[in-house]
Amino acid sequence: MSERLIPGPLIEVRDVTKIYPSEAQVAALSGLSATFQAGEFTAIAGPSGSGKSTLLNLIGLIDEPTEGEILYQGRKVSCLDPAAAADFRLRHLGFIFQAYNLIPVLTAMENVEYPLILQGVGSEERRRRALEALRLVGLEAFAGRRPALLSGGQQQRVAVARAIAARPLIVLADEPTANLDSKTGAQLLDLMQSLNHDNGVTFLFSSHDPAVLPCARRVVRVHDGRLVDPAEGVAQDLDADRVG
Amino acid sequence: MLVLAWRNVWRNLRRSLITIISMASGLAAIMFGQSIMKSLQQQLIEKATGSITGQLQVLHRGLRELKFPDRLIDDPASVEKALAAQRGIKAYAERIMMMGLASSPTSSEGTLICAIQPDKEPAVTTMSQYLVAGDFLQHEPKGIVMGDRLASKLDVRLGEKVVVMAQGQDGSMDADAFRLSGLLHSGSLTFDESIIYVPLPAMQQMLSVGRKVNQFVIRADRLDEVSTIREELSQRLSGGPLQVVSWEDIDHEIVGIERFQDAILAVVLFIVFAIVALGVLNTLLMSFFERVREFGVLMAIGARPRWVLKLVLLESAILGIIGTALGLAGGLVLIAYFGHAGLHLPVGDAFSYFMPFPDVIYMRVIWRDHAFAAVCILATSLLAACAPALRAGRLRPAEALRHV
Ligand SMILES: Nc1ncnc2c1ncn2[C@@H]1O[C@H](COP(=O)(O)OP(=O)(O)OP(=O)(O)O)[C@@H](O)[C@H]1O
Ligand SMILES: [Mg+2]
Repeated sequence: MSERLIPGPLIEVRDVTKIYPSEAQVAALSGLSATFQAGEFTAIAGPSGSGKSTLLNLIGLIDEPTEGEILYQGRKVSCLDPAAAADFRLRHLGFIFQAYNLIPVLTAMENVEYPLILQGVGSEERRRRALEALRLVGLEAFAGRRPALLSGGQQQRVAVARAIAARPLIVLADEPTANLDSKTGAQLLDLMQSLNHDNGVTFLFSSHDPAVLPCARRVVRVHDGRLVDPAEGVAQDLDADRVG
Repeated sequence: MLVLAWRNVWRNLRRSLITIISMASGLAAIMFGQSIMKSLQQQLIEKATGSITGQLQVLHRGLRELKFPDRLIDDPASVEKALAAQRGIKAYAERIMMMGLASSPTSSEGTLICAIQPDKEPAVTTMSQYLVAGDFLQHEPKGIVMGDRLASKLDVRLGEKVVVMAQGQDGSMDADAFRLSGLLHSGSLTFDESIIYVPLPAMQQMLSVGRKVNQFVIRADRLDEVSTIREELSQRLSGGPLQVVSWEDIDHEIVGIERFQDAILAVVLFIVFAIVALGVLNTLLMSFFERVREFGVLMAIGARPRWVLKLVLLESAILGIIGTALGLAGGLVLIAYFGHAGLHLPVGDAFSYFMPFPDVIYMRVIWRDHAFAAVCILATSLLAACAPALRAGRLRPAEALRHV
């Protein structure tokens, strides 16, 4: 059997080390390896300062590793130049941040449309896809509102809609529930879960809150820039799971 | 992007308005200044050329001083022929201009003698409009018209005799008696104190020069055609002993004043631009630092660095265009108002030493200068935007996202 027939992982983090340029020179990540599969709903767990954001930023091509490399579908993407990295994020990745995700001068609808505008999607198609995404997060009725007139939970749902509107390979969410109360946070995770389940959106999110971990189908725990259990870093084959 | 930039401009309404207003008032002030200076210059030129110099003169070549030609034109008829063939000429007159002496029984004064053709001169220069008594040599073949100050210095009244003395061509002194037939009051010290007007034929007779004169004074249809007419006329008269000069050659003081004013204007322009640039820079930097995180989000969702750079430039361009448009409108309204009502400036006194000059400036729209200023303001706002725009373009998304 040739190698090619075995579908490789969607994302491969290979021996990645990140040292932020500062006096202390502490490694935020040291020699971390992990793989992620399409269709996953995975949580990166760990205490504050353990390196969750750093890892998500590296996977999201927002930052560059000091050592090691990151591959998407076997292609090395770490160390792209800034414009190429931006293009890659635009075409293949969705982002949800902890807070202040949205552009305040644009309406919910326009925020969701924005990545599509940058992609050059025609206005009709753009509208349709943005409305569809808003409908999926249950905010169709708020399409014309500016972020300031939306609740924190609604804003995060608009951010989810923006992240999925461009149909990315994966949505990266750094502590998406940290700024929400536990009930709203749980609702947001429910939404993400159903998008994963019903629409096949791949999610990789981080949280320092142990309460949200049971929602995840897979948990990768980090501590001091390393995996707590290196075995957790290896993605199971979801398809094999299903067939089996 | 345009929508985003447009809304970003208005998200901090007060700050944007202050920036726009500062740009607009800067531009309007510059336009006002340009208009005052240029209107003053043009009025100055019109007065200078209108009171005595004319716009163009035909003179003998090789003069020591253009203002008092020391050589006569031997063949005035040839000049008349050339002038008749030249287009763009409104009127011309022949003259003899020279230094001389005017004497009354009680005293003598050095004067500029201006021997004119009484029927033609008023079409070329405007001194006759300052007449306050008598007439402008219309009736008296041996009349003399002078400023009221000179008349009181000489202690002569209308109808009284004044002896005029001047050096003839052979070096001898010629003299003749004239009768005071008109008094002028132009308000200019120099004019009212030292010019006398006499009829040309009487002067020619006194100097025994036949029909010869020493200058042709010409008024063109349009001031801006003066230099082309000068070229063409020079062509016509080439080969002869004559030259064609313009007011710029004769009244080089005015050209000097003009240059001086232009230099001042340039300095003021530069200062205003610097102030506007700093104001715009301040606004843009403030709004930049407030939005670093937002730029981070934009970049994270896939905006290229160059795109963010363009966004900041575009925002500044919007500010610049609105500011420039408002400034242009404001400046034009201001100029139009003072163009109509006139602006009272006590400049008349300052210039009256040289020539009669009124205190009221009628402001004119100087399109070329205003357009230049507007372009400069626009360029300034874009230039000021470069600093924050370049910073925005160099932002790393990871750092921008950490910014609060
Ligand atoms: N830009 C930076 N410069 C210097 N040190 C940094 C920088 N970003 C993160 N660090 C350090 O790297 C380590 C990992 O940080 P990271 O933000 O990845 O942790 P985290 O798990 O996301 O924490 P939290 O739960 O608080 O968000 C921390 O010790 C942090 O202080
Ligand atoms: Mg974090």
